[in-house]
Amino acid sequence: MKETLRKRDLKLIKIENISYTFKNGTQALKDISFDIPQNRITSIMGESGSGKTTLLRCLGQFIKPQQGTILYNHKNINNIEEKVYRSKLGIVFQNLNLFPHLTVEKNISLALNKVKNTTTDEAKQQTEHLLEKLNISDLIAAYPSQISGGQAQRVAIARALALKPEYLLLDEPTSALDPATTKDFGNWLIQLRDDTSFIIVTHDEVFAKQVADNIIELSHGMIATQ
Amino acid sequence: MGVISLINEVKKQKILYKIIIAVFCILFLHTSVYAKNSLKIALTGKYPPFSYYNETGELTGYDVDISGAIAFELGMDADIITTEWDGILAGLLSGKYDVIIGSMAITKQRKKKVNFTKPYYYSGAQLFVAQEYVENIKNIKDCYGKKIGVNLGETYEHYLRNKHPQIDVVTYKSTVDIFKDIKNKRIIGLVTDKMVGSWQIKKSKQAIFPIGKMLYKEDIAIPIKKSNPKLLKKINIALEKIEKKGIKQKIYDKYFTINNALKDETQANSSLFLFKILKGFAITLFVAIISLFLGFVVAIPTAIVLNSDKGIIKRITRFIVDFIRGTPVLIQLFFIYFGAPQIGIVLSPISSAIITLSINASAYMAEVIRSGLMSVPYGQGLAGRALGFSKTQIFVYIIWPQAFRIAIPSLVNSVIALTKDTALISIISVGEVIREAQSIISITFNPIKYYFFVAILFFMVTFPLMKLAGKLERNIKKKGFEVD
Repeated sequence: MKETLRKRDLKLIKIENISYTFKNGTQALKDISFDIPQNRITSIMGESGSGKTTLLRCLGQFIKPQQGTILYNHKNINNIEEKVYRSKLGIVFQNLNLFPHLTVEKNISLALNKVKNTTTDEAKQQTEHLLEKLNISDLIAAYPSQISGGQAQRVAIARALALKPEYLLLDEPTSALDPATTKDFGNWLIQLRDDTSFIIVTHDEVFAKQVADNIIELSHGMIATQ
Repeated sequence: MGVISLINEVKKQKILYKIIIAVFCILFLHTSVYAKNSLKIALTGKYPPFSYYNETGELTGYDVDISGAIAFELGMDADIITTEWDGILAGLLSGKYDVIIGSMAITKQRKKKVNFTKPYYYSGAQLFVAQEYVENIKNIKDCYGKKIGVNLGETYEHYLRNKHPQIDVVTYKSTVDIFKDIKNKRIIGLVTDKMVGSWQIKKSKQAIFPIGKMLYKEDIAIPIKKSNPKLLKKINIALEKIEKKGIKQKIYDKYFTINNALKDETQANSSLFLFKILKGFAITLFVAIISLFLGFVVAIPTAIVLNSDKGIIKRITRFIVDFIRGTPVLIQLFFIYFGAPQIGIVLSPISSAIITLSINASAYMAEVIRSGLMSVPYGQGLAGRALGFSKTQIFVYIIWPQAFRIAIPSLVNSVIALTKDTALISIISVGEVIREAQSIISITFNPIKYYFFVAILFFMVTFPLMKLAGKLERNIKKKGFEVD
């Protein structure tokens, strides 16, 4: 089964021999290499201190590894303009960072309007469509403080998906969810993988096994299994 | 008469001869109509109770009444011209008017330039004490070891400290305050100008009485040009006549005689006073609003700099903001008002007030906005970056709206505090509400009533703001913002 799937893979993101050392001398990543296939859910697993957050920051272009390269579509991401790269790779942070002063609709449409330069009306329409597709239309007028953790997680993903990235990086998406909600969320996520590739950084093994097509396990800055 | 002597004098100056002929022609026409029955009298109109505009806008006072009486004796009309004290003698010498009946003291220097009539009144330093001390205090020496009030900056303070150092001298900003403290028994009496003091006591209706003779005395007389001895003689005769007829005493009594059955001949025109205070308050609000707006505009970039990481600009800004917040507004106000002209920038009182209060407001608001910016979680900017917003967009659409909402309650509190600070600008003679109130109190001697009214006006503005701040804070908390 793995064999057949692999043939389909386009391997858009290629991580080659990256290492990262903090200023205090702690080596967070040690010569890591792996590929992240498209139209899949890839899960990066590991205990805290395993280097998964550092890896996520490298992937998100927030920090640069001292050694090795990350290729996106055969191009070093260091040579890709931040704005272009961000449109290809979305990120949903662990604490979601929904904008508290805006409604769910505005949280999503703001970037469509200001970054993608769609008109206000069009941005609103697209947002409505998306929320409908993701089954969270009822949240459209709510403020982030008025919705539950599971709902907020979906809204944050919707906000990132609205910009139609090729990859979506999720950092510990289940950390604030109870087991039942986690399971629902996992099923919801699986339906989306045909349009978007997910990279999920998590320490939740049950969730990783539920959703991931392939799992990369990090331990002490190195890959444990693939 | 005045015209002819003027011509005699200037005939000596040949250069001006032709001009004088022309002036003569004009004056001849003028005098042929008026001169026979009009005496031109100068005074300031700014020296109550000698010459001042009363509540109905009428020029009145002791000097004004004396002027009328003299002109009447001379069989002329009193043509009163109000002019500034500076240059009032120069105006007499240049023939703009015939006499000055403006409470001018005879001095050696003045005597060199003009002739003086006989004094028409005497004034000088006078001790006054409250009724309960009249029994025991018969002269200034009886006040040794007791507290006596004087106005700050008047010569009486200097006089008492030199001649009677045994007296405990207490200085005040105005006679109104002295009267209040006599009532409160903090001091037993005061030393001030005999005439002005008597008038103020009369107006205040307080039981305060002059004790003993004047501590020193000044002769007040009417100056006339040396080239006009005829007029001098005529006026001296007129002064004698009004004295004999008892007119002078009547006029004196009207303004100065203290008795307990006082009738207030100038009933306070309350509605006019209230209008003046409201007008002053409008100026106060105008200055407050402009300053707060300018302060807010400057505060935003200042707060951004303060919230930045490091660097010399941040450190300089930090120091300036701390300095402004750590020094009294009053001194900043003096600094701008009196300091700016030293480097060649002369500002009007109102501009100085607006500049100072704007700077002050910006420092306080910058601090509030900075704390608002700081309380927006770091992740908000990160999320914006991940969504592809530019740095400016992140600030405008994500950070600022949140920081501002968080800062609003504190900002409104700053607005309240700064609005109240506007009261300080009266010190640099901006005609705002406090100054108007002070000027009304100097006539009515009722500080409690008018200051209370001013306090109410301020409260009417600040109270809704306080309510608003509370409401906004609750709303913000409801929407899930963190408020410190």
